Amino acid sequence: MNKRKIAFTLGIVCIILTVAICVQINTIKNANSTVSKGFSEDNLRDEVLKWKEKYDRILNDLDVAEKNLTKIREESTKDDTTSSETEEQIKLNNNLLGTTNLEGPGVEIVIEDDPNPIGVLEDVSDHIVHDADLRAIVNALKNAGAEAISINGQRLVNTTSITCIGNVVKINNEKITSPFTIKAIGYPESLVAVNMNGSYIDDLRDWGIQVSIKKLNKVEIPKYTGVISAQYMK
Amino acid sequence: MIIFAIIIGCIIGALIGSNIPTIPYTYSGYLAIAIIAALDSVFGAITSTLKRNFDMKIFLSGFFVNAILAIALTYLGQKLNVDIYLAAVVVFVGRMFNNLGTIRRYYVEKLASNKIIAKAEATIKQVNKEQEK
Repeated sequence: MNKRKIAFTLGIVCIILTVAICVQINTIKNANSTVSKGFSEDNLRDEVLKWKEKYDRILNDLDVAEKNLTKIREESTKDDTTSSETEEQIKLNNNLLGTTNLEGPGVEIVIEDDPNPIGVLEDVSDHIVHDADLRAIVNALKNAGAEAISINGQRLVNTTSITCIGNVVKINNEKITSPFTIKAIGYPESLVAVNMNGSYIDDLRDWGIQVSIKKLNKVEIPKYTGVISAQYMK
Repeated sequence: MIIFAIIIGCIIGALIGSNIPTIPYTYSGYLAIAIIAALDSVFGAITSTLKRNFDMKIFLSGFFVNAILAIALTYLGQKLNVDIYLAAVVVFVGRMFNNLGTIRRYYVEKLASNKIIAKAEATIKQVNKEQEK
């Protein structure tokens, strides 16, 4: 066995080995966002990550199944006027319910905490975006005829609450933080009017909060990912 | 020569490895144990090249079969709820230390003998010079 051949093989094997090590390091780096404290915590995190993966997979399956269902419904109601009307109704209802991904013309508002240093005598609380601010803007958008709204990818459905939990805002049980991106589908010209003089957004600007608003021909709003349940309605 | 090959291989591997997507977290435990097995094979190979009894077939089969066996054992352990991978880690790391010890001893002895030879040569030269005088 000559030396060159040995060196070549070892080189190739080392490539495989380092690739594997790098992949492993990257995987672990992605998984460990917090510092580990103990064995049980590690196990718990393992469990959570595994469940999360499972959840994502099932969510994807659900997506595919829903698409199939829509296709089957469309095909079966193709030649029937009454059922195609019902189909239209179902589609509209699903869109209103928030179980579908939507796109259409609208606006995108980005709100960010005041980036400037705050004076000694000032209250920090006045310079950050609160849940109440978001509620006011959402309300204004609805008043302006918004048909679908999302904040940082969280679709607002009829059971959505926007609440303050410490230094973050909770929407649909997900914690979101500044900068907030509010997307709304509707007639852009009227939606953009939430920005007019004397409006709530105008007041926010006075406090130093960064607000940018732009009209878009295509706004994409994701669907509501939570579970819609009705236990007490009759 | 062999050391250069290893270093170049490691650099290329790191470049490729940092640019390809990661694997799902569920499988990272298996990959980890495979890495330990493969690392053990590589150290074994270095030791055997130093001892001049390197066998390509044994090395390559050891590299892949050890990794696959370690993964299979880990999987079995997970199914049986016994941490078999710990045994694999202990064995492989133990062997790694043995091999590292052999490699270290080889180089230390080589260095020592080089020094002795240099000393002897110097003495011989001196003696020769004195004899010429």
